[in-house]
Amino acid sequence: MITNDMSPSERLNAQVMHLLSGVSEHGDQHLAEVERDLVQMDVLLDEAIKKLCASFMAIHHAVDLQQEALNVLLASGKPAPEYAARFEALRGEINQHVGAAVTGLQFQDMTSQLIGRMVQHLAGLRDVFGALDTTGSVLPESNNEALLTTLSHISDRVGACCTERAGGVRSTVNQRHMDSGDIELF
Amino acid sequence: MTKTILAVDDSGSLRQMLAFSLKAAGYGVIEAVDGQDGLNKAKLQQVDMVLTDQNMPGMDGLSLIKALRAMKNYQNVPILMLTTESGDDMKAMGRAAGANGWLVKPFDPARLTEVVKKLIG
Repeated sequence: MITNDMSPSERLNAQVMHLLSGVSEHGDQHLAEVERDLVQMDVLLDEAIKKLCASFMAIHHAVDLQQEALNVLLASGKPAPEYAARFEALRGEINQHVGAAVTGLQFQDMTSQLIGRMVQHLAGLRDVFGALDTTGSVLPESNNEALLTTLSHISDRVGACCTERAGGVRSTVNQRHMDSGDIELF
Repeated sequence: MTKTILAVDDSGSLRQMLAFSLKAAGYGVIEAVDGQDGLNKAKLQQVDMVLTDQNMPGMDGLSLIKALRAMKNYQNVPILMLTTESGDDMKAMGRAAGANGWLVKPFDPARLTEVVKKLIG
């Protein structure tokens, strides 16, 4: 607590400690909100992909059955040549759309990897905010040397947090489009 | 006889799309959720090809390839990596581990089955 009877040096020390605790507390609150939103987004995307995949499979099955029925009709009757050609062209179009849908439906694999990576970074940021927290710490004595020592300890804690997390974060997803990727045979 | 492919990926939707594409092309598919699951299933049943992701919880793709290559009956089975990773260093590690090829996600089913056909017929 900063009071008027403090010397300018004591006030500076107290103000720095107060600032650090404030950054830590508010930063942590914002992180909690972002984390909650990310988890919710992950849940929604997971449910969406399950429904999309189920619908895709059902549509594909229905189209298959329809094509089988058309084949029987075409074989048993005498369709005009232009209809037979049209059906064949439609079959090709359907296969193209199915292929594109299969590629597009892989989005959740990538978004979940990105969300997982963001959560790892948020956890890292939470550690940093935790290291900045000076709540309950003894105020440094009223000289700059003591404040510098305290700040140096905090800086070391922040550095340690960054080093600890650096190795554990998974590699990023570089895909910027949902086009099919490269293939290389060794 | 139907050729069987082991598809290893921790993403359920990706496995579903892989199984859909490969079954449509006439292959049998065994799914595994991570490297360890893939290794267990490869031990239980000899497969003709392995398609594996790299980043998975527990055993990753590179470790799975090394474990498979250490088994006599998987020394010549084609193994492809199917991953979001596209860096040359990762590809070199895959190649050193014994992978036969590298496919960057997302995959196109026609191109995938073309490659599979080239490797196992």
